[in-house]
Amino acid sequence: MSDATNGVAPETAERFAIGISFGNSNSSISHTSPEGKAEVIANEEGDRHIPSVLSYVDAEEYHGTQAKAQLVRNASNTVGYFRDFLGKDFKSIDPTPCHASAHPQLHDSTVAFKIRDTASEELSTVTVSEITTRHLRRLRKSASDFLGKDVNAAVVTVPTNFTDAQRAALTEAAKAAGLDILQFIHEPVAAVLAYDARPESVVKDKLVVVADLGGTRSDVAVVASRGGMYTILATVHDYELGGAQLDQVLIDHFAKEFIKKHKTDPRENARSLAKLKLESELTKKALSLGSNATLSVESLANGVDFSSTVNRTRYELLSGKVFSSFTKLIEESVKKAELDILDIDEVILCGGTSHTPKIARLVQSLFPETTKVLAPSTSPSAINPSDLAARGAAIQASLIEEFEKDDIEQSTHPMVTVTPHLQKAIGVQLISATDEAHAVFKPLLNAETALPARRTAQYAVPKAGGDVLVRVCEGLREIKVTKPEPKEKPAEEANDDEDDSDFDSEEDEEEEIREIVWKTSKPIAEFAIKGVKADGKVEVMVAVSEHLAVQITAREVGGKGGVRGMVEAPKAAENGSA
Amino acid sequence: VLTEAWSAEKDFKVVGSLSSATQRNVEPVGPHFLAHARRKRHQRTFSEDDRI
Repeated sequence: MSDATNGVAPETAERFAIGISFGNSNSSISHTSPEGKAEVIANEEGDRHIPSVLSYVDAEEYHGTQAKAQLVRNASNTVGYFRDFLGKDFKSIDPTPCHASAHPQLHDSTVAFKIRDTASEELSTVTVSEITTRHLRRLRKSASDFLGKDVNAAVVTVPTNFTDAQRAALTEAAKAAGLDILQFIHEPVAAVLAYDARPESVVKDKLVVVADLGGTRSDVAVVASRGGMYTILATVHDYELGGAQLDQVLIDHFAKEFIKKHKTDPRENARSLAKLKLESELTKKALSLGSNATLSVESLANGVDFSSTVNRTRYELLSGKVFSSFTKLIEESVKKAELDILDIDEVILCGGTSHTPKIARLVQSLFPETTKVLAPSTSPSAINPSDLAARGAAIQASLIEEFEKDDIEQSTHPMVTVTPHLQKAIGVQLISATDEAHAVFKPLLNAETALPARRTAQYAVPKAGGDVLVRVCEGLREIKVTKPEPKEKPAEEANDDEDDSDFDSEEDEEEEIREIVWKTSKPIAEFAIKGVKADGKVEVMVAVSEHLAVQITAREVGGKGGVRGMVEAPKAAENGSA
Repeated sequence: VLTEAWSAEKDFKVVGSLSSATQRNVEPVGPHFLAHARRKRHQRTFSEDDRI
């Protein structure tokens, strides 16, 4: 490319990029304000979460909320839930979510929809990539209108298991809509970035679980955040779990009530079901905000209007099973990463379903109190879960907007992204001769830190000061389980009442205490700092190279000189580890 | 508080080396990654990068 244009960048027009979160159910567009704050843009209807739905009436195209409303009267010319069909084989798709709208069909090995999108009576076959193009064109227009500039580039979020074929298909579809996709970023990482980019947040090492609870699918990822760099340790997906299941709970609830009164099942008629579905979703959203919500549908079935109320407690009771599927999925992800729930520092709930207060509370009770659960009902500083992916994309877009296309490609190349990570934590032990046994290990570089890396920390020396021996070693995290002390049973007084006492003793059984303890596994280096003042501090810096060579420097805080040394890389590291 | 027996040249003694690393994929996202990519592509070290 650069040959033909003689060194001039091929895109002569100025690039103006936004962030796009493109979902099966909803999409969002966002940009970074001149002050550097990521903001989600509302479309002309005032929606920030724009349903990924297109509908055609008399050759006119409807988009977003308006198109979604057409699911009742014009279902066969309405297309939704198509993101996951893009770049896929017809055989491999699951068409279930499209049951109530235009059905996907096989077309030249790809997926297409037969809809009437022109004034003629004839149905046209529109491929899923063409639908995506039209959807993105509308999003692009909304963003351009809002920002007053021609938006021509974007960073788009995708699920972690989006294949190369899907990425390629999305790139093509976006190009046709006039959008140059600068980079695909993974949805969970976008969510972490959205939080980390806030001015008040501090970069620190943490393990984050990102639970993306969507409309028709849910994805959970365990992310190691080390020095602001993110590594995904494990992911789990459930394609049947999402907000739609919660809608179904309400649909069934209200349908039963309707049957009791009017002896007809509104679920048996497609149009009645579509009405009930739209309204149930609204009721569900209302229940995330208030403790009571109403549902009213005009002419639900047989021309009968229906209106009813439901309170949150009732809804939570009915949804118990679905809720526990969400927490199970989260537990599964932690297990898959070979971690313990005690290891998790933060849980980020994102996706529309994360607004549900009960889910956040259940997640909080799954993890120890020290784990921060970032959701509107558990943390006052939480960001709107529906905005997270789009915000992360906008931040990334603002970071790379100025880059040359080649630069972006080279930086995201596996040559750069595949990086050695520390297998074990590296920490420091301060030892005083008198009680070596009690030397505490303090991790400095955590396991799963991408290399090269360096960390510095200050440690208080033993009270008396003097000469201090510092040992740098590898450490292993272990979970220490303390069984509750067997309670001395009060001399069986209630002998005659056996049933009762049995029950009691099981109920009262104290939970075993589980905690994280560090075990040193392998010393790396020892050094001495002499003549430290009483109550002084020692500053230790450890830098690890990509080849696992370790450089250590240490000095007394405020003191002169200090010690420095180098530990050679292990011999087998060059080719043994990949 | 140092044991009498302990001594080393320049007070520094190497006693081992790190366990092998695991190869993983870093997510190419965020300012810290971009800094990492820049260092890697220009083969700079942290301190060289700080100076620029």
